[in-house]
Amino acid sequence: MTTHRYCDGIRRRDALRVGALGATGLSLADYLLLQEAGAADPTRVGSTARSAVFINLAGGPSHIDSLDPKPEAPVEYRGEFSAINTSVPGMELCEHLPKLAQCADKFALVRGVSHTLTEHQMGTKYLNTGNRPIPSLEFPGYGSVVSRELPSPPDLPPFVAIPKTPQVAGVLGVEYAPLNTQATPRAGQPFTVRGIALGRGLTIETIERRHGLLNDLEASFQSYEENSDLLRGLDRFSQRAHDILSSARSSQAFDISREPDSIARRFPDTPVAQSCLLATRLVEAGVRFVSVDHGGWDTHDHIFPQMKDELLPELDTALTGLLTTLDEKGLLDTTTVFVTGEFGRTPRISRDRAGRDHYPRAMCVLMAGGGIRGGQVIGASDARAEAPASGDGFSPDDVAASFYHSLGINATKEFHTPTGRPVSFVRYGNVIDELFS
Amino acid sequence: MQHGYSIGRALHCFQVASVASVLVMSSSSATFAVEPMPPADQRFEADDVNDTPEFRRHVLPLLGRLGCNGRSCHGSFQGQGGFRLSLFGYDFDADHAALTTGSEPRVDVEHPDDSLVFYKPTHGDEHGGGQRMEIDSWQARLIRNWIRSGAQGTEDEACQLTSLDVTPPTIQFSATGQQRSLRVLARWSDGSVEDVTPLCRYQTNDESLVEVDADGVVTSKDRGDTHIVAFYDHAVSVAQVLTPVSDQVGEKYPDIETPTRIDELIVAKLRRLGIVPAPLCTDTEFLRRISLDMTGTLPTPQEVKAFVAGTLPDKRLRKIDELLERPTYTARWATKLCEITGNSPRHFEDNAPPAEYARNWYEWIARRVRENVPYDKLVAGIVLGRSRESSESYEDYVTQESAYYRTDSPDDFTARETMPYYWAKRTSRMPEERALNFSYAFLGVRIECAQCHKHPFDRWTQDDFRHFTAFFEPIGYGVPLDDRKTYQAMLDELGDRGNQSQRVRARLERAQRGEIVPWLEVFLAPPGTRIEKGREAKASDSVAPRVLGGKDIDQDASGDPRQALVDWMRQKDNPWFARVFINRVWKEYFGVGIIDPPDDMNQANPPGNAPLLDYLAEQFVDHGFDMKWLHREIVSSRAYQRSLEANETNRLDEQNFSRAVARRLPAEILFDAIQQATAESRELPRLVVDVSNRAIGPQGGAFLGRRNHNDYASTVFGRSSRDANCDCSASTDPNLLQAIFMKNDREVVEALERQSGWLNEVRGALKRASRQNSVVDHEALVRTAFLRTLSRQPTESEFDRSTQHLKRAGDTMEGLHDLLWALLNTREFLTNH
Repeated sequence: MTTHRYCDGIRRRDALRVGALGATGLSLADYLLLQEAGAADPTRVGSTARSAVFINLAGGPSHIDSLDPKPEAPVEYRGEFSAINTSVPGMELCEHLPKLAQCADKFALVRGVSHTLTEHQMGTKYLNTGNRPIPSLEFPGYGSVVSRELPSPPDLPPFVAIPKTPQVAGVLGVEYAPLNTQATPRAGQPFTVRGIALGRGLTIETIERRHGLLNDLEASFQSYEENSDLLRGLDRFSQRAHDILSSARSSQAFDISREPDSIARRFPDTPVAQSCLLATRLVEAGVRFVSVDHGGWDTHDHIFPQMKDELLPELDTALTGLLTTLDEKGLLDTTTVFVTGEFGRTPRISRDRAGRDHYPRAMCVLMAGGGIRGGQVIGASDARAEAPASGDGFSPDDVAASFYHSLGINATKEFHTPTGRPVSFVRYGNVIDELFS
Repeated sequence: MQHGYSIGRALHCFQVASVASVLVMSSSSATFAVEPMPPADQRFEADDVNDTPEFRRHVLPLLGRLGCNGRSCHGSFQGQGGFRLSLFGYDFDADHAALTTGSEPRVDVEHPDDSLVFYKPTHGDEHGGGQRMEIDSWQARLIRNWIRSGAQGTEDEACQLTSLDVTPPTIQFSATGQQRSLRVLARWSDGSVEDVTPLCRYQTNDESLVEVDADGVVTSKDRGDTHIVAFYDHAVSVAQVLTPVSDQVGEKYPDIETPTRIDELIVAKLRRLGIVPAPLCTDTEFLRRISLDMTGTLPTPQEVKAFVAGTLPDKRLRKIDELLERPTYTARWATKLCEITGNSPRHFEDNAPPAEYARNWYEWIARRVRENVPYDKLVAGIVLGRSRESSESYEDYVTQESAYYRTDSPDDFTARETMPYYWAKRTSRMPEERALNFSYAFLGVRIECAQCHKHPFDRWTQDDFRHFTAFFEPIGYGVPLDDRKTYQAMLDELGDRGNQSQRVRARLERAQRGEIVPWLEVFLAPPGTRIEKGREAKASDSVAPRVLGGKDIDQDASGDPRQALVDWMRQKDNPWFARVFINRVWKEYFGVGIIDPPDDMNQANPPGNAPLLDYLAEQFVDHGFDMKWLHREIVSSRAYQRSLEANETNRLDEQNFSRAVARRLPAEILFDAIQQATAESRELPRLVVDVSNRAIGPQGGAFLGRRNHNDYASTVFGRSSRDANCDCSASTDPNLLQAIFMKNDREVVEALERQSGWLNEVRGALKRASRQNSVVDHEALVRTAFLRTLSRQPTESEFDRSTQHLKRAGDTMEGLHDLLWALLNTREFLTNH
């Protein structure tokens, strides 16, 4: 028998099944039972948040034209936009984020976040995992780690990506893969999520009728179940999927048309705003991690009209709506909001293209909720937003460690890759304590 | 995470040890020519002992056994409390220096009892690691005597460990609770032999079955079998431990048919374990199982009926031969080889047309699988890949390469002798990455541990890693120095614009139109140079290439060090090359490897049935690495054709091949099975032979034959990403999203309801029948639904339940839709069994 262990005695992941001729380790069925029982992880550290919303600003937003304006810098740096005051004295934002400026007390900015990966894919992996990518292993995205670490209700998927996410389960394995909605909701319309919504005239009655038939047809295979962890696992997942499909809670969670008008009208009919509205509903229902994709920030050419006319107003409304609604529903304390791109953009404007290029040395990250004290700016970039104002600034690893901390997940906790290598959720980061003070 | 000190001379030790070590479990030791030196616990038993221990042979192993050089203690890369030892204790000189030198030496020869290495582990309250030994113990005396005698380092540098023999090599218990002591002898190159039983570290591979204590006393905890691993110096040795599951052992064991050599070897072990295997499976079970395993394809309803009706006594063997000739066999196993070699299109982004390169990679392999080219030859064609022969110019090369991608009568890429794209992979541009990639793909050896520290479960050290990496230093992917001008001139002439991938696209389109365009190429750097960051550089501090566990290789006349690698792999006594492939194939058929996981062959992970793997390896090589022979040999065995039915003795056995084990269908095979089960009748025969749109074929994950619909399903069902050095990148674990997908995802809904689907075909038939006032046979529909999905007839109760469902549904179509949906969601459909 070849049950095999690694450096420190931990079994390989695929050995989750019962070791032959002796029930050892944690079987898949046990694992599911534990998860369903919501067994708390004893290593969890004290925290307030139990859910998270991650907004991925794909392409890399220009920090200087959004969350880190430099009105004093020369014009070839500061660009066309001016800065405005916010509800928090001393915190300035780009003039095209007026709504966010009004609720600046709800979020914190981390400026002077710095790394060196100038390519989209690499930068995206870094900012979506908290680990600088290495070729030998695929780090799990935040959502996969959160769904692994925090117990979630049995009738809801733990990790939902609207409409998709660069985050992958990587070495954690397919159990922790995201449910990609593949589409974004439209205002006021019932939203059909792949696999979950009952489309095409499908009713609960149909579901139950089929389920009854399926259960009867399973009978012939039932006898093999006691000798197969796989068969037991398949059955449990099947039952849980059925719970989700037939659960009023999950179908209602995805149905944004049920949101009262007083809330819905905060969210205009843009993909990102509707995604944020859906995110609030999902979090309210108990989904652990929702990721929202907001693309188009790769503004090499003609940055200012794009930013002014589309990107900033879209983000401004969507994010303000998200923060305000979560707050109003009493969910902001228990939900961490994390907004970032893969890098910032060159502070000096390229004259011939009137754009800005990739620039990871001084980016800015927005975080809110989950015990994070709003209305503060932590760290700073220098006068021209070219580098952290002092030292090395913060690393994406630090931001990641802080994010996990807000959810009570110990970022230094180790898991084992399928090849048995011990790896921490975040390998090098330190929690930014100021965020929580 | 670089080690900050030299690994220097200590590595000699390793070389000799590695030559002597054996991967395959060694059988009992030779007769003792020399009386072994007594074990350390006896030598240092007396209070007033005067004996002097040796650093390498006694002190360092003792520190290892006490846990001092573990990862969470002084073996961590940062050390602990200002004191650092080499992880797992392989660097004798550095560890000696760490103990005896520096600003705060751990050893005080003048005051042995005050030495930190003595004081700390005997005083738990002042040691972060707690108390590790009693002050009045043989361990403490050993360390104190070493310090007293001057704390010398390794005495005889030339003397090396030649073997580590664990006796008995196999412990056969008759009941749980029984105990047996192991004895471990270390043999050194100076002829000395020492009983090192108390100095080894021990580990059980399954603590629920067998426990081992620090002194090598083995206790049976439960019925079953596993291994105990002993670590000493660089060596790793194992002992097998068995406790029978039942009293049906030896004489009492029933008479079990063993029609093949594989069965003899499997039953030989089952007999010792008291495990009675399951009976032969039925013909329908056999047909579904082998069709899915061997060809990734469900049998058609007609095929099931014909096979069951067949009366020839050797119809199973005939079916095996028939399936081996199908295009689906080729597609299934070419795809497996693509997973292992890693043909992800992502590897080529920005350098070459990704999909086209990945596709040609597949086709090159597929042709060889179809023609049953010997496995070693196939691999040689990949390993020795280069874009052009030395006689060809760069212009010759780009002309040829462009011709492969011409739309109008392209040249046949698969006719190439070598397939160079393997060396163009994005994740293996650096020699170190190539070494990892290569040892994973072709040897099943995980050498990555040794990139930073000694392998915890094998003999590999950083030195082995460096020497192995040297094979891959001369391989370049780019444009050789001499041809850069030509390349640039060609690019300038094209004048394509856009980003890199757009320009790659533009060049491909030109090539498709018949133009000759420039390409990057796989080439070998001239002797004396190596490739650094894609360019030739002088190789000043190069080390000689050395195969794992072997000797340095002299550059052969061809200047291609890879030839030596290939020659080494093909040798009959190569412990890995044939075995890893056999194991991977075996795992596809049984769900578990003889060594498992198959891509983790290390000394502490021995085969569950070594004679079986030895037999297959020997025969596979003797049969000229004939892949079809291997498949036929495996599936012709009784072991492969056993039923899922378990008895009291084998119900928990998943690793001794005593019964069939249910396995979730791999992603591609499942996608195809859904497609097939729901397809209209006239489509079925085609799906069995035409792989062009099959997920198991060149389209890879293209679910239901439509592009852009594959990513989500592939992710959820764990399709191999083909860019990680791990068989585990393909997963057959179940999860929640899979269940949601099967029940209600639009891809499954569309498969059921599609225009060219079976349900629609039946709908048409029903309409025609109602127009003609005839009746459609509901019972036949039910039977067909079962044959399409579960490849068998319904049982009586299933038949009754299903026909009633159709009746009660009011609308036949709705009822049939329910039935097909339910069948697709049964575990019987989702698994192979």
